[in-house]
Amino acid sequence: MNPFLDSTRRAFLGHSAGGLGALALNDLAGGDGVLQKPHFAPRAKRVVYLFQAGGPSPFETLDPKPMLRERHGEQLPASVRGGQRLTGMSGHQTNLPLAGAFTRFARHGQSGLEVSELLPYTARLADRLCVIRTMHTEAINHDPAITFFCSGSQISGRPSMGAWASYGLGSDNADLPAFVVLVSKDARRDQPLYQRLWGTGFLPGEHHGVQFRPGKAPVLFLDNPEGVSDDQRRAQLRALRELHREQFRTEHDAAIQARTAQAELAFRMQASVPEVADLGSEPDSTFALYGEGARDSGTYASNCLLARRLLERGVRFVQLFHQGWDQHGNLPKGITQQCAQTDRGTAALLLDLENRGLLDDTLVVWGGEFGRTSYCQGRLTKSNYGRDHHPRCFPIWLAGAGVNAGHVHGKTDDFGYNIAEGAVHVHDLHATMLHLLGIDHERLTFRFQGRDFRLTDVAGRVVRDVIA
Amino acid sequence: MTLSDWAAGIRCVAAAVAVAGAVAAALPAQSEEAASDPRNWGYERAQKSVPVVPGDKASWCRDDIDRFVVTGLHAAGLSPSPVADPAVLLRRLHLVLTGLPPGPEAVREFLADPSDATYDRIVDELLRSRAAAEHLASDWLDLARFADTYGYQADFECRTWPWRDWLIRSLHENKPWDRFVREIVAGDLLPDATIESRTATAFWRLHRQTNEGGSIEEEWRHEYIADRVDTFGATFLGLTVGCARCHDHKSDPISQRDYYALGSFFAIDESGLAPYSTGGVPQPAIRLMSTEQRAEAAELRAAVATAQRAFDAALPDAAQRAIEPVAERLPELRCDGDRRTRVKDVPGFTRADPFRLELELWNPTESERAVVLHTSRYTLDADTQGYQILTRDGRLCWEIVHHWPGSAIAVRTKAPLPTGRWVRIVASYDGSSRAAGLGLTLDGAEVAIEVVRDHLQGPATVRTFELGGRDRDRGFAGGRIRNVRVFDDCVTAASQKLRDARRALHAFVERIPELMVMAPHRHSPARYLLRRGAYDDPDPAQPVPADVPASVLSFGERSRDRLGLADWLLAPENPLTARVAVNRLWRLAFGRGLVAAADNFGTLGGRPRQLALLDALAVDFQNTPDMRAMLRRIVQSSTFRQASTCSPELRERDPDNELLARGPSFRLTAEVLRDSALAASGLLSDRSFGPSSKPWQPPGIWRDAGVGWGGADYKPDQGADAHRRSLYTYRKRTAPPPDMNVLDAPSREVCIAARQSTATPLQALVFFNDPVFTECAAAAAESVVGAMPGSDGSVRLRELFLRLAGRLPQPAELRALMPLLQAGSDDCHALTLAASTLMASDVMVMLR
Repeated sequence: MNPFLDSTRRAFLGHSAGGLGALALNDLAGGDGVLQKPHFAPRAKRVVYLFQAGGPSPFETLDPKPMLRERHGEQLPASVRGGQRLTGMSGHQTNLPLAGAFTRFARHGQSGLEVSELLPYTARLADRLCVIRTMHTEAINHDPAITFFCSGSQISGRPSMGAWASYGLGSDNADLPAFVVLVSKDARRDQPLYQRLWGTGFLPGEHHGVQFRPGKAPVLFLDNPEGVSDDQRRAQLRALRELHREQFRTEHDAAIQARTAQAELAFRMQASVPEVADLGSEPDSTFALYGEGARDSGTYASNCLLARRLLERGVRFVQLFHQGWDQHGNLPKGITQQCAQTDRGTAALLLDLENRGLLDDTLVVWGGEFGRTSYCQGRLTKSNYGRDHHPRCFPIWLAGAGVNAGHVHGKTDDFGYNIAEGAVHVHDLHATMLHLLGIDHERLTFRFQGRDFRLTDVAGRVVRDVIA
Repeated sequence: MTLSDWAAGIRCVAAAVAVAGAVAAALPAQSEEAASDPRNWGYERAQKSVPVVPGDKASWCRDDIDRFVVTGLHAAGLSPSPVADPAVLLRRLHLVLTGLPPGPEAVREFLADPSDATYDRIVDELLRSRAAAEHLASDWLDLARFADTYGYQADFECRTWPWRDWLIRSLHENKPWDRFVREIVAGDLLPDATIESRTATAFWRLHRQTNEGGSIEEEWRHEYIADRVDTFGATFLGLTVGCARCHDHKSDPISQRDYYALGSFFAIDESGLAPYSTGGVPQPAIRLMSTEQRAEAAELRAAVATAQRAFDAALPDAAQRAIEPVAERLPELRCDGDRRTRVKDVPGFTRADPFRLELELWNPTESERAVVLHTSRYTLDADTQGYQILTRDGRLCWEIVHHWPGSAIAVRTKAPLPTGRWVRIVASYDGSSRAAGLGLTLDGAEVAIEVVRDHLQGPATVRTFELGGRDRDRGFAGGRIRNVRVFDDCVTAASQKLRDARRALHAFVERIPELMVMAPHRHSPARYLLRRGAYDDPDPAQPVPADVPASVLSFGERSRDRLGLADWLLAPENPLTARVAVNRLWRLAFGRGLVAAADNFGTLGGRPRQLALLDALAVDFQNTPDMRAMLRRIVQSSTFRQASTCSPELRERDPDNELLARGPSFRLTAEVLRDSALAASGLLSDRSFGPSSKPWQPPGIWRDAGVGWGGADYKPDQGADAHRRSLYTYRKRTAPPPDMNVLDAPSREVCIAARQSTATPLQALVFFNDPVFTECAAAAAESVVGAMPGSDGSVRLRELFLRLAGRLPQPAELRALMPLLQAGSDDCHALTLAASTLMASDVMVMLR
């Protein structure tokens, strides 16, 4: 008999953890969120964040600037730069020549959204996207900037976006973590990623993002040790339960029963995690959509497909990371490769979610931690250039649940250097994402060190314009 | 930003009002005055006043601790719990004091004679053990945010373990608390400062440091000072002061000005960037010389002095100059600021070599910064190693650098370099590693110069010789350079002897590893309050000389340096330091401090239920600053010895055991869990001290994260080194050991005064499946089977239980595990299954 796999979560808890207090229930992964119900009707039930780490250049992707081509090689006017600080990499350059994009843009779909030729698959879905061209951030170096984007603070030790979503809303699947992280193995690993980007900070530990790795045992320590069968593990769990029953008899500590429940949940994860990560059951049509590369576990395309499988099983927040967008030099070659690695998978995920009716209540976000300069870093030639970090304006896009599809929010100036109208701060994006999840970002808080913390710190406003 | 500041202010005011209300409601009437005082209990000096214990309870009391507790229980209508079962108590004692379970022999001995005398003897033995020092150190490593890597971006390795050794040694010799604090805070400034006491100050350098290209150094210097202030607050004052970085902290009497004034104690002559292309140690640093090495260095120094005297006696300086250049580039170079011109075949002078550069410059304008000539790889100041001629603010600078600015010699002209005409420059150096050995002439005449830095402590390795600019730096735009000549001035026998003596000294000294430490700032820039915490927005109207929050205790007439700061911390009138220290020791024994929020002794932390007890212990600790003695008192108290079992009613009434009507129970830390498994299975290595070790971890974690450029992956140690205590485990901050991470060990990115303690499914996976734990389970099973070859399964199971849990099983516990004896493929395997189950169970996971 298998006492674990065939029971519903509620029945399971009722059986094994009778009398379990509300506190202990909250300790369970896959448990309910801290919010009994959302603050208002959610548009999105789940989120997939396609993080393009390194800082994709706007000018070769989503924000065409013809003037840069016209004035290629001319100096960036000091009046445009203003007092803007530059990194130490190009900040000492005597010359700051404007660099026109090597790519061409075309208008796509009924919305006429301008998308670069480097993103042909994404371009076909133009009418599903809401592009925010006017994101801005406070950090200028990778580490603080990506930390800021993922946790709302440049300071380490704050909970990540997914941890907040897990904390607030819990999971719809008792057998899978609420927050899953996928890192592309086929990316150029120039700028590193850090555990803290999906960390739980001061929130309880079960909200920590769980990284699924390529291969048959996607979660660390998932496999039984060699020589231990599932039957033997079941026997161990029975023994554990008996031990704990005895312990509880004297201690009356609900944490004991919570630990029993956690062990049994872990056992169920040992089945549910490989099941979700096994792409073998996907029909050929899936790979026709995502590309054959998706059969290779751990690639961006494969992770996009895995993200869909996780989302359809009720995982609350999936975050993909694809490194390699940090083109200080040789940008044309580098960004062409980045786009080629990611474009099809991204678009396939969108379409796949749509075909399954999941896009209606899944929020999809695409973007990096900052943009890049419209002037050239290093030597500018006719066909080659590089771009330094630029936090003042850069594009991201949203799609899916409740998003104003086919819309462009905000305008940057002709130099692509400053925001002309419609600025969206990182805190604003977070507030908007939480809003779409039915959460008032000012009311999802956690008391720590005597202060109520939230994802948006003391700022953030919902960008109504991007919501349909 | 302005709007958010405003919002922040509003929020904090609201919070303060709410809390003041809550505190007032919770206090008895006679304390109303105190409650209305904006300061709170944490800011009032601790007083000791031991209550009179009701007659029938007196016999229970072994210590004042018990007198406070039992009086409180009496008032609440409760009685203490009976003393814990001897085996439970012994396990508790071992785990609390050493972080390791008792061995089977220790259990049997104690069970044979569980008297007070035996207990006291064991307490003393354990307290004196190295294991106890290591366990106590674990707690400090969280405060110290101790790790083996810098923690930002590429997250390169940094050498920090000598500090950990200092910590363990200090705790093992039971260094008096006041000395311990003085060494950490001001070990470099003590009248009897030694390498050991200077090593202690590395505590302030263990924060993360960035190596990321393009980082703005000034920003990061402020970041590091902020980390030191936050760490100071949490470690010694039990206060979270970080909120005051951006605005006045409405809820605690710590102002923004206090925050920056505190930071002024911690300004050092540092770069802001960790060196990455030169591979050195961030400055300031000391070389960790042994006594023998110091003696040898002294001999080499004496040899230099002898050679110097011979050199001085030989010829006047001017006659010691080379006539023929060793390299030259004569054609005029017109610089555009970005293009760089390399001159080949220039000798790679060391800092022991006398040499001279002659060149003619045509300076177009008084620019903020322009590189004329350099010999380094990159621009970032931490990596500008070698020698260089620059203009800064229009003035000519001549510099020889190991790591800028902490280890360099540099001079500059007092007047700006003339513009719009050719100037002939001679920059000379005498090989002395002193700024006085740098010479500058303009058009053949001496010019007025001033010393910018005079502290060269390491090699100034030359990597190139470039004119007109530098990669990622600001070049000599519009400038012209011609007739560049390089002279090797080591031309006489006397000067060669002097150079060789210096080279020998340098070769010897520079081989000795460095440790980053604190050192007084000889060139400290004025510090100002930073508006909204922004590094580039200092408020010139608000200079911040070193000072402390007067709301805690005014600084008085103490010296305005870290030595004074240590005195201030240890002053009897300081209301926080002793309370915080005692609270930390209490938490070690009870899993929870008398003040639960260990980093929040401020208003928002709430008034602790056992404040009178805390205060009494704090007063005693001030009088007898002995950590070991305080721990002894705690574990010898009747309060500590109580059984942790309790009725459902009591658990519901006092879930956090604030009343102390029962003994401690808490989940063991990640380190203790792993160490216990290793110890119980006989695998634990007893190697202490030294560099960190790398126990097994799943392959690919470092590589996958892209952490450690070049795709280098983690290479686990083999043999005993894989089984050392967890405080020696290598900590890479951006990719911490995954099992430790799952078990709530912090990433060591920031100072943590109190860890989380959670229960998650991933923890069960670690206990059951992580090879680190399953290896222990198998080894424990094997050793039991090996020791008892003919025994019956249940007898072996009892022995296994005893080894792992430190006590014999109850009959029901044995019954629970018995079915596993039939489940395994053989005896050993069956016991392994049982051992794994125990490791995942409350029996081993919790201290009870």
